[in-house]
Amino acid sequence: MAHGHKNKRTIEGDNLVMGFQIAPMIDVVFVIMLFFMVMAGAVKVERELKTQLPGIGTPALSNEDTPPDEIIVTVEETGVVTLNEEEFDSPENKTLPNFTGTLMKLKQEADSRNAKVMVTIQAEEQARYERVIDVLNAMAKARIGNVTFTVGGEEF
Amino acid sequence: MGGGGGGGDGEPEFQIAPMIDVLLVLLIFFMSITSAQVLRIDKDIKLPVAADAKKKEDKNAMFEAAINIRWLSGKQESKIKLDDRELSNEEIVEALTDRKNNNPTYRVVIRGDRDTPAVEVQKVMALIAQSGIDDISFSALNQDG
Repeated sequence: MAHGHKNKRTIEGDNLVMGFQIAPMIDVVFVIMLFFMVMAGAVKVERELKTQLPGIGTPALSNEDTPPDEIIVTVEETGVVTLNEEEFDSPENKTLPNFTGTLMKLKQEADSRNAKVMVTIQAEEQARYERVIDVLNAMAKARIGNVTFTVGGEEF
Repeated sequence: MGGGGGGGDGEPEFQIAPMIDVLLVLLIFFMSITSAQVLRIDKDIKLPVAADAKKKEDKNAMFEAAINIRWLSGKQESKIKLDDRELSNEEIVEALTDRKNNNPTYRVVIRGDRDTPAVEVQKVMALIAQSGIDDISFSALNQDG
């Protein structure tokens, strides 16, 4: 009898252990969720600035009736950005607000005449790539698509 | 304010099952946001930031090559990698020409370090132009971090 009783107890004990514990699972899920929530704020997504290299596939601008507006943008080693030889914004300013504003105005004005805007970027050899991207970013904001690059007088 | 005591013997019990459902849905949502996209980029390259650039489309990742330009500021020289292989300039042109011939819409993404001098990037653009590819894009990040 005593033997039988003991057996029963062990079975009860087993039952207790086997029960699926929901509370620790919620704890774990909570922690994982918090991790992903925090990470979500810092997500870095790759963006792209598309452009076409001239010479091969670009549809000839000269086919148009109106000649394109040519803008020359230079990027200097020091970070100075000039538009048609006029200096814009400070070299430290990443967002280039005045430069972007001017580009937008030029673009609007060209659009109203049905002309295209063509930008040539002349970066000095030792100018930082980051600064060139800043300029391209400003162009993306102003929705200017025709961009070419020159360096040292030789056009690529 | 007797506080929900109305139930008497009824069960004003906290329902755990729907809560788990909601938690799991939230978890999946945040997991999907934190995509592994960025992980493919070379860790040694600090991409520049361009918040206004377009989001990169992943659908045609099969038909694009990535050229990584690393800038070693100590040595003042750049290291160019096509996808994950370090090749000489001629080999890069050769490989890209092959791919362009197989697929006319082939494109190249340039992932340059932000400290790279512009001339290095222009050299890479010249290589791409030599191989006959005209569709290029510059890679950047949406935010600094």
